[in-house]
Amino acid sequence: MSATRTLIHLVSVALLLLWSGVLLYFYATGRITQYLPGDGIFRPMVLMSGIGLAVLALINLFTMGAEDPGCEGHDHGCCGHDHSHDAHADCGHDHSHDSHSGCGHDHGHDAHAEGDHEKGHASHSHGHGLLEESSWTGRLVAILILAAPITWAAFMTPDRYSANAVINKGLYNPNYNSTANADKFSLRTDEAAKPAATPATTTADSAAAKADPQAQSYGSFTLDDLKAQVPQSKEGNFILEVPEIYYTGGDIEVQSVLAGQSVETIAQVLPEKVNNADGRRLRIFRMLVQCCAADARPYSIPVEFADKAPPYKDMTWIKIVGKMAYEKDGDQTVPVLKAERVEETAAPENTMIY
Amino acid sequence: MILAALPDPSRLGDVLMAFLSILFEGAPYIMVGTLLSGLIDAFLPAKLLDRLLPRNRVFSTLIAGFLGLIFPVCECAVVPVIRRLVQKGLPLSCALTYMLSAPIMNPIVAVSTLTAFKEFQKVTGWLEIGNATMTLARLSLGYAVAVTVGLIVLRFRPGRVLNASIIEGIEAQRPEGSAAPKVPFNSRLVHAMRTAMRDFLDTGMYFTIGVIITSVFNTQVNQAILDSVAGNEWLALPSIMGLAFVLSLCSTSDAFIAAPMAAFSQAAKLAFLVFGPMMDIKLMFMYSVVFRRRVVLLMLVGTFLLIGLMSQPWISLIEMLQTSTKP
Repeated sequence: MSATRTLIHLVSVALLLLWSGVLLYFYATGRITQYLPGDGIFRPMVLMSGIGLAVLALINLFTMGAEDPGCEGHDHGCCGHDHSHDAHADCGHDHSHDSHSGCGHDHGHDAHAEGDHEKGHASHSHGHGLLEESSWTGRLVAILILAAPITWAAFMTPDRYSANAVINKGLYNPNYNSTANADKFSLRTDEAAKPAATPATTTADSAAAKADPQAQSYGSFTLDDLKAQVPQSKEGNFILEVPEIYYTGGDIEVQSVLAGQSVETIAQVLPEKVNNADGRRLRIFRMLVQCCAADARPYSIPVEFADKAPPYKDMTWIKIVGKMAYEKDGDQTVPVLKAERVEETAAPENTMIY
Repeated sequence: MILAALPDPSRLGDVLMAFLSILFEGAPYIMVGTLLSGLIDAFLPAKLLDRLLPRNRVFSTLIAGFLGLIFPVCECAVVPVIRRLVQKGLPLSCALTYMLSAPIMNPIVAVSTLTAFKEFQKVTGWLEIGNATMTLARLSLGYAVAVTVGLIVLRFRPGRVLNASIIEGIEAQRPEGSAAPKVPFNSRLVHAMRTAMRDFLDTGMYFTIGVIITSVFNTQVNQAILDSVAGNEWLALPSIMGLAFVLSLCSTSDAFIAAPMAAFSQAAKLAFLVFGPMMDIKLMFMYSVVFRRRVVLLMLVGTFLLIGLMSQPWISLIEMLQTSTKP
């Protein structure tokens, strides 16, 4: 190998190790829990690809000296050598296609000076990587793009979003009657009775159901059902996550049972911007993630206090105990938690809900 | 808890957070794709694909649109694989159709769409499969668009579509009739690993650029403005497709994002779910590894218009078929 080729090879190996290192670091420290959901394939894939990239890098490091004689049916595209036309002339073959294939594989073992190969590279390239093909500027830019953002992000990421991102992701645009994820947080267990995208009676007519965002009936639900479903604290408060409360806005039976009950939840807090003329309200939210933190969406509900809302710093984690209430706002039913007791608390292990 | 030592959240921190999370999600699949591409390059006989596919290019393109059902790949893994398959003699039209349809026409995506749109409950048996409106519409429209693009590309010489370096990779394989050379297994493996490394870095670079841009939009632009246009029949479709382009979601999970967007019509969601897996910021950069810039831009405009125009009629058609087959 020429010096250039060796250098590029080593840089490539180093870049793979860098990516592998970042993946494995976030997996090993458990910080991956802030980025990817625990169920499903995504976290294990980070571990496997972290190991995979390291193995790939090491294999390439240890086989660096090996000739790469090419692959099926040709050697141009893949042998790591380039056959400038001079080189071809050197080997004494003519350039018709049949003899081309005849001599193809010998080239890998030819005694051509490396300099020849390098020259050939400059004149025409054969589907090699960016690092092999580009000019020196191109190579440096490619290396920079591959190395700098991932390193910078790995060191500088706060592992959590700021209020700004939460608002941009739609904090103040809730749609309480959306049922898309309702089964996941429904307080019902009976499979058949879970809210489908459309209630049972209108299954055949999805267009009508879509046009009607009102809260709907999904069959009977009793206090006993609630007690069977939801864990209770020592004082008898129902412990619910914000998305669970959020989704009750679409289910009138659950509402009728839950209204007036004592509910306890942990969430982050931001100021309330709607229906809050007298300043008695805060908005609490949790981020719900489908497959990575980039698709996190805030699920939020208002919390109402008897007097002016306490001045919490934005994004503070708080534990709220209060009575559930529901109010109509246009065609939506908004779940409101009437706070009785609020205290600051530590962030939960998983700040995102998956 | 490690949190104490971490930097405070900030606008920049939001971008870095989104960047890393998409990277953690996508990089493993790029690795899978590039390992495959390395192995394909080293071990797949050049003429095998040609022999397996029907001679008729139109017919083989139609078949390529279904290959995702057998070889499911997501959009991050498909780009490096496609590049090698083209160099191994897979006709361009088939490759393009497979590339665009595989991230949609694929069992994992079908299941996630069924789940997100709550269509599992409606499909109680094989006969009721027609009830899964969104899933059927998504898979069929994705197939139709992919095949259309493939058939259009059939009219062009590969040289006008592919990057010069890819073309030379194919030309090197032109010599026909030569017996398979005897290359020792170990050498082939060495070669496969080198190819995989190069392909990972190539794809990874464009992926990185795309993810940076996506992360900025993802966290710095207030997506609530979308809701204000959701009801407008002229703006809803282009803006939700723009969102798909900007968010660069993974096709296995985008249905979960689309389903709760209650303000948007079914047609708009369909456009989101078909356009997103075919074209988004990170893909645009990744495609340019294989295709000429101009072709990538034409593909962007073409798929945008095609899907934008087809979504509403398509969903109406599916719903019409359902009601006409109802007893």
